[in-house]
Amino acid sequence: MSAEVKIIEKKDIPHDAVMLFGFPDVGLVGVIAASHLISELNLTEVAYMDSSLLPPLIVLHEGLPHSPIRVFGNHNILLAVSETAISADVIYPIMHSLIDWGRSKKAQMMISLSGIPIQDRQDIEEPKVFAAASSKEVLKMIQDKGIDILKEGYMVGPQAITMQYCASKSVPAITLLAQCFFNYPDPKAAAEVLNKLAIITGIKVDVSNLLEKGEEIRLRARDVMRRTQQEMSKMKKTQEYDIPLYVS
Amino acid sequence: MSTRRRRSIFDVIDEYFENLEEWAERFREALIEKPSWNRRACTIEPLRNVMITPTEVIVTVDLPYTEENTIQVKPINNDTIEILAKLKQKVKLYDLGITHYKGEFQTFHCQTRIPVSVHMDRMEIRFKKGILEIHLPRKHEYEISVE
Repeated sequence: MSAEVKIIEKKDIPHDAVMLFGFPDVGLVGVIAASHLISELNLTEVAYMDSSLLPPLIVLHEGLPHSPIRVFGNHNILLAVSETAISADVIYPIMHSLIDWGRSKKAQMMISLSGIPIQDRQDIEEPKVFAAASSKEVLKMIQDKGIDILKEGYMVGPQAITMQYCASKSVPAITLLAQCFFNYPDPKAAAEVLNKLAIITGIKVDVSNLLEKGEEIRLRARDVMRRTQQEMSKMKKTQEYDIPLYVS
Repeated sequence: MSTRRRRSIFDVIDEYFENLEEWAERFREALIEKPSWNRRACTIEPLRNVMITPTEVIVTVDLPYTEENTIQVKPINNDTIEILAKLKQKVKLYDLGITHYKGEFQTFHCQTRIPVSVHMDRMEIRFKKGILEIHLPRKHEYEISVE
């Protein structure tokens, strides 16, 4: 773990859990999905991040201060979630520290929940979900479960670092990416990601509530989306639209 | 023989300062942090995006919780449009978990600058799944042919 980033544990952390990540990104898919998982599964805060790399910011809930980056969990799930957009300058040490911490707890797999932007998203009824994996074995496991693979392209943001770092440390990792709006909160895409998460891990939640409250979520998430958009532009997120040049 | 009137140096200077002022205003807007809502006007600013294609400019605006028949899109000059839309019901800051301010909103409001010349009078609008799409055909004032 980086000296500049500490993960403070508040409760006993289970071993062999599945570690999930929901960070601000396109369509806020990861954050909306994570928030729904926390409320549906009654996950509680088990750890939080303390770091001088984070902006001078706390999140107040019920009058009490909280770190913007926290880990929620139960006996078999660890869910890292950020309530603020992470600056491109500090994203490496933050993601590396979370993954190192998860490895120290022997997390069996790391799964990032996120989106992939698509033009004319409003014309798509059912957004597709694509997956990428850290190794051929994990990729085969996903394909066997009938999930489409993102074969070629660019990935930018927290999930890109998670994937690269996990691959280098031989930690099984998956990124689930639902087709979504680039800069509008997308609860429907979050619901699709959660449906695919259920197929891969057996972590099932009812998404009907998420869909019913879709408009309210979009209204509430406006400001977080606006801040996230500023950070996405700094990290050149639109590169995910680019046509890749395959170098074998 | 050309009948075009020559512009005076004062016209040129005036135009230069007008452009400079407009640029400074945009720069200020981009840099100065401000809330995305206006308590006095009871409005909130929607998220929006501008895309330029070879034939048109497409502005999309995220308008969740909006009554479709209240949406208004008004050109306010050659390069700016104003968008207004009423929410289905008043939203209080308290409902969004904010208890240290009082305020309520019932209208989305924003102004968006169109970065290239367009035919404002041929604007087409559609609203689908809470996303407003404004299509503005581009105005190609002159073309340079390739020799």
